Amino acid sequence: MKRRAFLGLAGTALAASAFGGWTLVNNHSQPLLVSARDGSDGQHYAVGYHLDGSQAFATQVKERCHDVVPHPSLPMALFVGRRPSTESYLIDTRDGKLLQTLTSPADRHFYGHGAFHKDGDWLYATENDTSEPGRGVISVYRVQGSRLERDHELSTHGVGPHQLLWLPDGETLVVANGGIRTEAESRVDMNLDAMEPSLVLLRRDGSLISKEQLPERMNSVRHLAIASDGTIVSGQQYMGDMADKVPLLAIKRPGQPFEHFPLAEEQRQAMRQYTASVAINSELRLLAMTAPRGNRVFIWDLDSGAVRLDAPLPDCAGVGAVEQGFVVSSGQGRCRLYDCREEKIAMQPLQLPAGLWDNHLRIA
Amino acid sequence: MNRSPLTLALLSVLLGACTPADPQQKVTSALADGVILPAYSSWAEADQKLAASGQAFCAGQQDLPQAREAFRAAQSAWAGLQTVLVGPITEGNRAWQVQFWPDKKNLVARQVQGLLKKYPQLSAADLEKSSVVVQGLTAYEYILYDESIDLTDAQQKNSYCPLITAIGKHQQKLSAEILADWQAKDGVASQFKEFPNPRYAEAPEALADVLRSQVTAIDVLKKKLGTPLGRQSKGQPQPYQAEAWRSNASLANIAATLASAERLWHGANQDGMQSLLGSDQDALKKRIDAAYLDTRQRLAALQRPLSELLKEEDGRAVLNEFYDSLNVLHRLHEGELARTLGIQLGFNANDGD
Repeated sequence: MKRRAFLGLAGTALAASAFGGWTLVNNHSQPLLVSARDGSDGQHYAVGYHLDGSQAFATQVKERCHDVVPHPSLPMALFVGRRPSTESYLIDTRDGKLLQTLTSPADRHFYGHGAFHKDGDWLYATENDTSEPGRGVISVYRVQGSRLERDHELSTHGVGPHQLLWLPDGETLVVANGGIRTEAESRVDMNLDAMEPSLVLLRRDGSLISKEQLPERMNSVRHLAIASDGTIVSGQQYMGDMADKVPLLAIKRPGQPFEHFPLAEEQRQAMRQYTASVAINSELRLLAMTAPRGNRVFIWDLDSGAVRLDAPLPDCAGVGAVEQGFVVSSGQGRCRLYDCREEKIAMQPLQLPAGLWDNHLRIA
Repeated sequence: MNRSPLTLALLSVLLGACTPADPQQKVTSALADGVILPAYSSWAEADQKLAASGQAFCAGQQDLPQAREAFRAAQSAWAGLQTVLVGPITEGNRAWQVQFWPDKKNLVARQVQGLLKKYPQLSAADLEKSSVVVQGLTAYEYILYDESIDLTDAQQKNSYCPLITAIGKHQQKLSAEILADWQAKDGVASQFKEFPNPRYAEAPEALADVLRSQVTAIDVLKKKLGTPLGRQSKGQPQPYQAEAWRSNASLANIAATLASAERLWHGANQDGMQSLLGSDQDALKKRIDAAYLDTRQRLAALQRPLSELLKEEDGRAVLNEFYDSLNVLHRLHEGELARTLGIQLGFNANDGD
């Protein structure tokens, strides 16, 4: 995601020339924020806004989407259907044109997340095998021009998968298996007494590299961020009692085990057992997280674990790294830019439409 | 006059920038000074009196009815704060330090006894590092009202007094700190007047925060009434699940919360939320006014304590009618009022993804 913003136009143009039929029309100097968002009309949209507030596109889509996966070199992105949606939308990020509505086959639905391979010719998306509810599937789609064609499936080696991302080698997939079984057309948990959350690393051929668990069985591993040095961070949602003292942030540094990120009790409590998005700014070595039930945005120093920001933001949602620090969206208020380049983090509201932003945003 | 259209356009931009013409900003500013700050001041004042009363009671200068009166005033001030739980009180687990409700398993009794066994000469510092269950009004109420405790017995009184004074001090300190946060230069109150600030990007965010707190408080009132009524337990009344059942102040607390909800609606000088509804919204305005009146009248007509009403079928029937009235008030705020003010109350927080 962020990599693209830093590559700049030259790199994008170069890569785009490798794909016939695409021309790059992007004379906008501002990074493009892509996200699922509802309109005040109650309809669902796939939207792109430049950070100065100018709208690139807002395309109405049938199902509510969750995460967005920008293609590494082409001006298109997949808006992934939110659990238990059976539709995802491939959108041209220059004008919002709907290139393709991706429909999952029978006995499958999307979990809201996916990832393009770095070469741009494959997409990997987490899905639920509803004939065996919760069995984690990664569906692999081949990029054919401006279309995606389902090719084969891999196992996530776990239950109820959610986000997946690449390690910096671009060949190793990291999957957050939430551990919760749900059925088709349902969001109801079936196995809170026997959850099996895990963090899985696997190769592109589907073979398992590692599978690790946190000590608490009801601590659902949901969202991921990965630094350029391969440090993996995950954000959890705890399904147990509100009074249980369970940390909701975990880290796997290169070559180290998957373990809790040290959290001060005040921050742990403020999350109210629920986290939404995590992001890493590799250049600044910072980690950001949104906790919409606690209405708080956090930023930590990735290496020392020191808290850099603990700020109120009602119903905070997506977070993405930009050159200055992070951009955060909200289901209720304005998007904010947190400039983290100085010791004191400065907040600046952005002139994008306020509220109704879905859980994740990407900087394309 | 031969002003060009461009000059006029620029002029209007300049005017727009320097007049606090934004109606939502006017309302959040008026609510901060006229409703929210006074509520925090009353709370801090009541806690100051609570701390003084606890000390006086333990020094033999106040009797039990006087100590109970100070407690009920503090409890009522806290109930009146429920609709404006925004800013620092929502952070760092502070609200739980003031009151522990719901207390489904009567933790307060067990933990107060455990605490006094552990620290017979309990100090303020001991209390600070103890569980929130014993730090606030719920524990204070237990000591002053529970049937198992006889404070007219000198020995018992001596054993509970360290905790009575420590809770009083803790509450006084907590409320004074939060009030100071509100009143400080660039404090929380100022964040309802000038935008953007570190908390709110613009006035609608501040207004939304207040409305959200108000709607939540009314929703919690339904729970405070519905739980003892047995609405979550197949109609079987649960009198000990009521808030403030020991002090028989359940309905008085509900009245205090409702009154503060209505103050947000009207404002101190007719400058509250209702002033944001245009003349085309008169019908909604009247329905909300009527809903407040209805809840007030039904509550006034109850007359007897909740615990007594719960025992009789007729009593439960009027309580259920009062519940329905609260429900109407809740729905009006959560639905039509929020929509009319353009406020999104919840989107991702209950998303579960």
